[in-house]
Amino acid sequence: MDIHEYQAKQILKNNGINVPQGKVAYTALEAENVARKISARGPWVLKAQIHSGARNHGHFVERNAGKGGGIRIVKTLKDVYKNAQQMLGSTLVTSQNKPNGKIVGRIYVESYVKVEHTFYLSMAIDRTYPAITILAANTETDDIAAILANSQEKIIRVPLNLKGPTKKHSTQIASFLKLHPKNYDNFHHFVCGLFKAFMNSEALMVEINPAGTCRNGEIVALDAKITIDNRAIYRHKDIASFLDEDDIPPRVLKAIRNGFEYHEYNGNIGCIVNGSGLALAMVGLLKGSAACTLNIKGGVDRDKVAAGIKIIATNPRVEGIVINILGGFVRCDMIADGIIDTASEVGMNVPLVVRFEGTNRDEACNILEQSKLPLIMADNMDNAIDKILKSVGENQ
Amino acid sequence: MSILANSKTKVIIQGITGTQASFHVSRSIDYGTNVVGGVTPGRGGTTHLGVPVFDTVKEAVAQTGADASVMFVPAPAVKSAVAEAVEAGVKLLVCITAGVPVHDMLAIRQILKGSQTKLIGPNTPGLLVPEETRLGIYPENIHQRGRIGLISRSSTLTYEAALEINRAGMGQSTVVAIGDDMIIGMDFVEGLKLFHSDSETDAIVMVGQIGGKFEEDAASWYAAQCSKKPIICYIAGNDTTFRNHVGYAGDIITRGRITLAGKKKTMSQSGMIVVNNISQIHEVLSSIAK
Repeated sequence: MDIHEYQAKQILKNNGINVPQGKVAYTALEAENVARKISARGPWVLKAQIHSGARNHGHFVERNAGKGGGIRIVKTLKDVYKNAQQMLGSTLVTSQNKPNGKIVGRIYVESYVKVEHTFYLSMAIDRTYPAITILAANTETDDIAAILANSQEKIIRVPLNLKGPTKKHSTQIASFLKLHPKNYDNFHHFVCGLFKAFMNSEALMVEINPAGTCRNGEIVALDAKITIDNRAIYRHKDIASFLDEDDIPPRVLKAIRNGFEYHEYNGNIGCIVNGSGLALAMVGLLKGSAACTLNIKGGVDRDKVAAGIKIIATNPRVEGIVINILGGFVRCDMIADGIIDTASEVGMNVPLVVRFEGTNRDEACNILEQSKLPLIMADNMDNAIDKILKSVGENQ
Repeated sequence: MSILANSKTKVIIQGITGTQASFHVSRSIDYGTNVVGGVTPGRGGTTHLGVPVFDTVKEAVAQTGADASVMFVPAPAVKSAVAEAVEAGVKLLVCITAGVPVHDMLAIRQILKGSQTKLIGPNTPGLLVPEETRLGIYPENIHQRGRIGLISRSSTLTYEAALEINRAGMGQSTVVAIGDDMIIGMDFVEGLKLFHSDSETDAIVMVGQIGGKFEEDAASWYAAQCSKKPIICYIAGNDTTFRNHVGYAGDIITRGRITLAGKKKTMSQSGMIVVNNISQIHEVLSSIAK
């Protein structure tokens, strides 16, 4: 689960990391009030809160959103109001969320902090070892996107064990980043705070882009991105409340609520499968004709199957559905019951191809046969793809 | 010989009394699996599915001499279940459970380090030796015995790949799914090594997936081998699903964005035969058999 910058900064602050003073605002008036409250005079930084990086270089689709990107430095309260009004409700497109972009529903208003030296620092999991790994780079001349593309040797990678960073680790990184040695202690504190934040929130990634050193030697996180492990959220009620439902497309949200995985593409065939690998394989076989894939995973019951079919059926792109189940944990007969429930409830007005294999396949095929529903049965994956493409083609 | 387990392997089931466990374990017993006991805390001293139930793994191992455990425990309990099994000295763990938190897996890998225990999974249908033993939830009606090793990250594509092997008129020596979670126990390299030294495996079908670098690790191991068994490799994935990243860390960790095309290229440069669709596996198998 991705959380917003202002939420991530709250987590960092709770773990002893310096962040600029700031507050979230949902309206322009609120932004102005917040700005007045956090500091008597400007400048302030207005930051669009969407789940994407590269907001600074992004642009707004709407003409009345002004010329600036998703991060704006403003000097007067009047400009706070004006820019907040331009950004709120407008669509911000960045290199990480193109082409559609996302509508800005909240703005983070921060006091502007002057820094002397900036750097990139993140923690993520290197799956091979596996190890939580610190990634850091000096961003004085190039930003991290340019360094990643052109000069990866300028990024230091330091794998950690579960005890966290030692003084040796932090000194090695600080010297790589060319920080002033008088700041090494503050840097160690910063890295340890980041590790604590990573562990305490069960993060998959914590990224500060950039952090900076202030004149007094303090290190401050100017930006923050945290991705939390969805599977661990049940243990973190405070973080669970960070979920911004407006930032998630409605069908994806419905899928998440049912414990499914849902992805959309540009074609016209909806796929229901049990397994993320199988979903990917179907998209490959459909060669651009996939509209969406819904992975119902293992532990489903008949009601959930019905809910899944409804998610697919409400996608306006979908002109045909193929259900491909290879039952191991999932029992095919239960899926068949779910199909019948949905058909009787919402009716099926698009072609539906079903392929069952594995656990209780024969029982499932019997159930569907006796239901007399207008289904097309397939006996392998190629065959299922051929049949759905053919019947959708005939309908057009 | 099969790899990792055979009909003699003594198996206990952690979480044996659950509904799903009961359904699948009784099918495993029918398949010929040597299930010698089960563990459910608080149910010790009872009998379930015809085998004794114990309160702890330690007792179960002491009483039955079990050398493998199949785990059907809920995700939040997996960490302690693995720790318990490792402490009891169980050599092989198969963890069926999906949804184990990633940080728990980091701790589990720490627990496994330096132990004699090998973990398959989590989030896997497990391990199956056709006509011998079933440590997991595989649909038993689709596998037949033969001389092709099958190793896969995805659960359902393992079944699909097994059907492809059958379609070529062949069968499987051992089927092992390593799980498609972010952090897993046994990886491709370990599995491929075992298949390479297995006298009953002539060729290997490997099913990879986009996300992470487990396949690339396997490719660099394979490229360095002098004597190679043929590996037919399919990689599930497309580049659109993984397009929307938040931040840069994911791409830095993998030293640049991993694309499906890049992954396939790495695999084929290592000497593996890469197929674009999973339904081409049977054709390639038939052609190399000639």
